Formats: sequence, structure tokens, C-alpha cells
Amino acid sequence: MRPRLRPGSLGLGLMLLIALAGCALPPGSRRSAGADGLLDRNREDPALSDGGRLLASLLSRGGQTRVVLQEQPSGRELPIGPLARWSPHLSPSLSHNGRYLAVIAQQGAQPLALIWDRASGAVHRFPLPAGEEAQRLSLSPDARHLAIAILRDGRPSLRLFDLSGLLEADLPAGLSLRGGGPQAAP
Amino acid sequence: MNQAAPPLRQPGKPQPAPARSTRRPAQAFTTSPSQLWRWLAAQAASHRPEAQGSEAAADLGALPRRQRFPAGGPPLLPCLLLALALLAGCQGPAGRPLLELERQLDLAGASRDPALGDGLLALISGRGGREQVVLIDLRRAQPLPVPGLNRPDAQPLAVAVDQRGERLAVVRQRQGRTELVLYRRSMASLELIAMQPAGVPRRVALDPRGRSLAVEVSRDGLWQVDLINLP
Repeated sequence: MRPRLRPGSLGLGLMLLIALAGCALPPGSRRSAGADGLLDRNREDPALSDGGRLLASLLSRGGQTRVVLQEQPSGRELPIGPLARWSPHLSPSLSHNGRYLAVIAQQGAQPLALIWDRASGAVHRFPLPAGEEAQRLSLSPDARHLAIAILRDGRPSLRLFDLSGLLEADLPAGLSLRGGGPQAAP
Repeated sequence: MNQAAPPLRQPGKPQPAPARSTRRPAQAFTTSPSQLWRWLAAQAASHRPEAQGSEAAADLGALPRRQRFPAGGPPLLPCLLLALALLAGCQGPAGRPLLELERQLDLAGASRDPALGDGLLALISGRGGREQVVLIDLRRAQPLPVPGLNRPDAQPLAVAVDQRGERLAVVRQRQGRTELVLYRRSMASLELIAMQPAGVPRRVALDPRGRSLAVEVSRDGLWQVDLINLP
């Protein structure tokens, strides 16, 4: 027996499809990352979490350059917690799910790299030795490595860190952890 | 804590590569060079200025010692530093420096603009004014091939990589134009990503899945960030 559609069901289905399609931007689509009030300002140094759900970028406000963290595509601004204590910021970087936000900052005249754990609120600091000027920073998506580009005696160089003993990994969504201890079933 | 600190450098400006000022014997690294060192040194040698001869070999180890972890000093100092660090709210030990890899990269030339994937490092490395994008497997400390990515007539300015190292986004200067290209490693293909509306790209970020690009673009006298969804 052939099912019969109600007159309104087709329109409802179409509306549902449009709503679902609107949840993700189609391939090739472009838009500006600015939200209301941010469009007319300089925005620099973007960083993305998985799927572009979080965008970190630099924005100058009141003479200070600070990182701005935004949900996408809404553009809703999220707090940057304890990172506001240090400024200016430079070169933000995000982990897979945005649990960790890393930036270069300055404490007095000393440059340092900061990693903010948004889950616990902890801030991990990586002061650089005197004579090393921090240029760029990159945190690996899984938060297991940190790279800092520095200038030392005018020469560009890299500082690399293994963070696996320091930070809990931020694995991509849907990726299960293997193993369950010594008694785990094979 | 918001102090009037000296400004950090202007983002995006290509850095000069001045001559090294201090020297260190090179034999420490020539006794058992790793595959990464040999590969990077070969790449660097192909770009090295001429007429350096044996001095160039001696120059390989010309780097000042790291000052991060002083080896000597009174025994009280480490305890004091540890106590201060704990009092200052530092969260346990710092990350473990990957010193050997740092040394190998230093030997290969000036390194800048790092971009990390999961277990991967993309960077711009060069010597003698010639730079190229290099992708390194951090677990094996070995370079990964990126055929067709580097061109002799193109100068890379910024690089981004996805978590698997399959896609790299590169801002480069070529024939007087600044352009953004997307490289797919499995296909060794390059795709030009045009700025719409027109603008000059400077920095780029890839989301870890390689499906979204965030591009810093100079447009109408402002730096803006464009978000581009990739197929």
C-alpha cells in the first residue's frame, strides 16, 4: 500500500533539510570571521580548532593586542580567562577541541609561552631564556607538542617541547582511547 | 599584570638571516649524523652561498649553547627555583625539550614559522636567502616528502598543516604576487586559493581536520580574517 503524504509534510521536510544544511557551511563557502562590532578592526593571526568550531585571533583594543576566542559560525565571543593577565598576545594556537589555547605573551620584559587549559583553568608557562625573542608559537592539535619560533642573536630558530608528560592529550572527537590497564580484555 | 612592555615583533615580517656570531665544534654532530640531519644538510648545501669551503663545514655547529638549563651553579639554586616555580603557580614540570631535533634543524639553517600537526612539524627552513617548506615526522625525526610543493621561483611566507600532514596551506610570494595555495600531499597537487574579495594574504591556519581555512588578509587598509570551507 502506497503511503500517503499529508499536504504539510513536504514543506516541513524541506524546512528540516534546509535547517540541517545550515549547520555546516558548504564546501567552498567563504565568510568574514568578524562578528558585530569586530568587522571594522584589525584582526590577525587566526587559529582554528576541529571543524573550525572555535576561532582564536588577535584584536587590538584600547592599545593592547589580545587574543579573541569566538565560537563559529555564531561569532559569539568566549572569555579568555587568566590569559587576560598577560598582554600583549601573539600567535594564538588551539588544540583539537579547543581545550587548550596557547599564546605568546610578555611578563615584564620577558617573553613567555602560555598554555591555558580551558577545562581545568590551569595556565602552563614556558618562560624563554634572556636573549631569546619569541616570534611564533604552535601547539599540536593533540597538545602533545609545542613549537616556539625564536630569534636569538638575530637568528631564527625553533624551540620544541614534548608535552606528553605535562598535559592531558586533547584527542579529536570520536577517537577512543586504547587500553584499559593491565586487566583489560584483549 | 598588564605592563607597558616593549612591543612584540610585527607579525608576518620575513626575518633576516644574519651571520652567526659564535662557533661550536661541528664534530659532535658529524660522527653519527641522522638521516634527518643528512637530508636537511643536503638541502641547505644546495642553497648555500659559494666560496665557503672548509669554513662552511666548521660553521655547521656555530650556535651558542642553550641557556635554559644551566649545568653548573650552587646546589641551592635548583631548589630555590623549584620552590619559586611552585609558589608562582606553575603546573608541575615543563615540557621536555627536544634538543636533538632542535640541533638538527639549526644545523640545516634558519627555521621559522612552525606549524604542528599530530606528531608532525611543518616549518620554513632555509639558508643563504633561499627558503623552503619542510615537513618532519616528529616521532621518527625524519623528513616527509612534499613533492611539488617547493618551487625555485617561490618564496614561502607562512605555512599551516592539518593533523595528518595530508594538507598544507602555504602563503608564498611568486612573480611579485602574494598567493595562497593548498597542497594535498597524497596527490602532490597544488591548488591556488583566490582571495574573494581581492586581498593580500599574510597568515593562514588550517583546522586540524583540514576542512577549514582561516586566512589573514589585507583588504581596504585593514587586516581581516576570512574563513573558507574546503571540499
